[in-house]
Amino acid sequence: MNTNDRDDLRERLRELDATPAEMAAWTPLVRQLAEWPERHITQASQRHLLSVLEQAMPLHSAVRQAIREQKPRRVTALLATARAQVSLFGLGFWLVSALITLVGAVVVLRIITMGPDQAWVLPALVLRISGPLLSYLGTIVAFRGRGTRVLELELVCLSSPLQLALARLVIVLGYDVGLGLALSLLLWAGGSGQVLALTLSWLMPLLLVAGLALLLSLRLSIRTAASLAYGSWLAFVGISTIPTFQTLLLTPALLVLPGGIGLAGLTIALLRMHAGMHRLLPQS
Amino acid sequence: MQRLSDEQLLEKVIAGDMAALATLVERYQHVLTGYLDRLVGADWALAQDLAQETFVRVLRQHATRGDRLFKPWLYAIATNLVRDHLKSSATRLSTPLAPEHEVWIFDEVPGPEEYVLRGEQRSALVDALNLLGMEYRTTLWLRFYGDLSLQEIADALGIPLGTVKWRLSTGLRRLRSLLASSADTYC
Repeated sequence: MNTNDRDDLRERLRELDATPAEMAAWTPLVRQLAEWPERHITQASQRHLLSVLEQAMPLHSAVRQAIREQKPRRVTALLATARAQVSLFGLGFWLVSALITLVGAVVVLRIITMGPDQAWVLPALVLRISGPLLSYLGTIVAFRGRGTRVLELELVCLSSPLQLALARLVIVLGYDVGLGLALSLLLWAGGSGQVLALTLSWLMPLLLVAGLALLLSLRLSIRTAASLAYGSWLAFVGISTIPTFQTLLLTPALLVLPGGIGLAGLTIALLRMHAGMHRLLPQS
Repeated sequence: MQRLSDEQLLEKVIAGDMAALATLVERYQHVLTGYLDRLVGADWALAQDLAQETFVRVLRQHATRGDRLFKPWLYAIATNLVRDHLKSSATRLSTPLAPEHEVWIFDEVPGPEEYVLRGEQRSALVDALNLLGMEYRTTLWLRFYGDLSLQEIADALGIPLGTVKWRLSTGLRRLRSLLASSADTYC
């Protein structure tokens, strides 16, 4: 035993708050323990252990492996997946959405022709009802397969279930928000002073209905969930038309609140969907 | 690969990297088997089997590690396996360190007198260790053979740091007292 080893032993005993007498008594004992005879691992036994462990190595399914490999290029993959899923929506969805937007455009044009000083409560009400209708339809169409046990089909895709859900949301919300922004642009070009208020009137409810629908779809069928979410919004709009509540419920701060709730709902729903579906992914 | 920490190596192993597994085995197989050998009473074949089972559990139960460091977690698995083994085979304290263990003591060639003297000392120490409780032996070997820090021992055994210190000092005190009484008996 060299000096370093002896110092090391003393240090270990000092850690135990040993008295000098104890240290003197224990040092030979600890030295005997430290100098216990060694047996050696042979190359053959190491090879044998490795061959046994090779059989026990954690295996990953091809699906998990593919998801892992997809991670470095998430955004590109997400956009590519979204592009590939556009066909999922069908012509009817695009046409109905465009029709609803057209109604919105007519309302906006009416506001412009009335002039900024005129009352815009009724047109805003139409926008508040029609805006979330887009996300209601979009959610039903995009997630119609959720209750029909298509997990196996989704698992054979390279993209993860979360990526698929995100891709569909990109399509639905992207299209709806795009249409809405076009309306706002029209409003702004027409010189209306209420651009922000009217933009909030359709954007915030749109987010709310999409978020609530997806959140409720964790427990209910997607059609029921979307209907419940849109129905709740319509009820809220109905209550807000009562003069007593009008000033209370339609303040700018309260117009932002539905959007916040919607975004929170979307986040929670996506995380739950991700966790729930990953539990069902094959382990090996 | 050698520069990677145990935790980084385990991450790679989980991802299916055999080279990382070989490095981890190379790093721990010897010291782990030595520790198990001391705990089970110098049964090298059994210690090797238990070391193998420890590594298998590392691979199968890696998700249970959480944010614990690899080394204390590895020794925790190994110690639990020994406990289970001793319970199931009812060999607790009845498996003395084998006499042939004493033959491996000598790194250098001793003279005949020294050979006999060291053999006697070793034999007494073996007897005393066998009389110590499992919890003391485990703690003593983890510290003075496995080279785990006090905190690592606390993590491996799931006990407070103060208990580790107490077990070590009480273990050494008892061991010394057992050796003293055995020396009195021989004299």
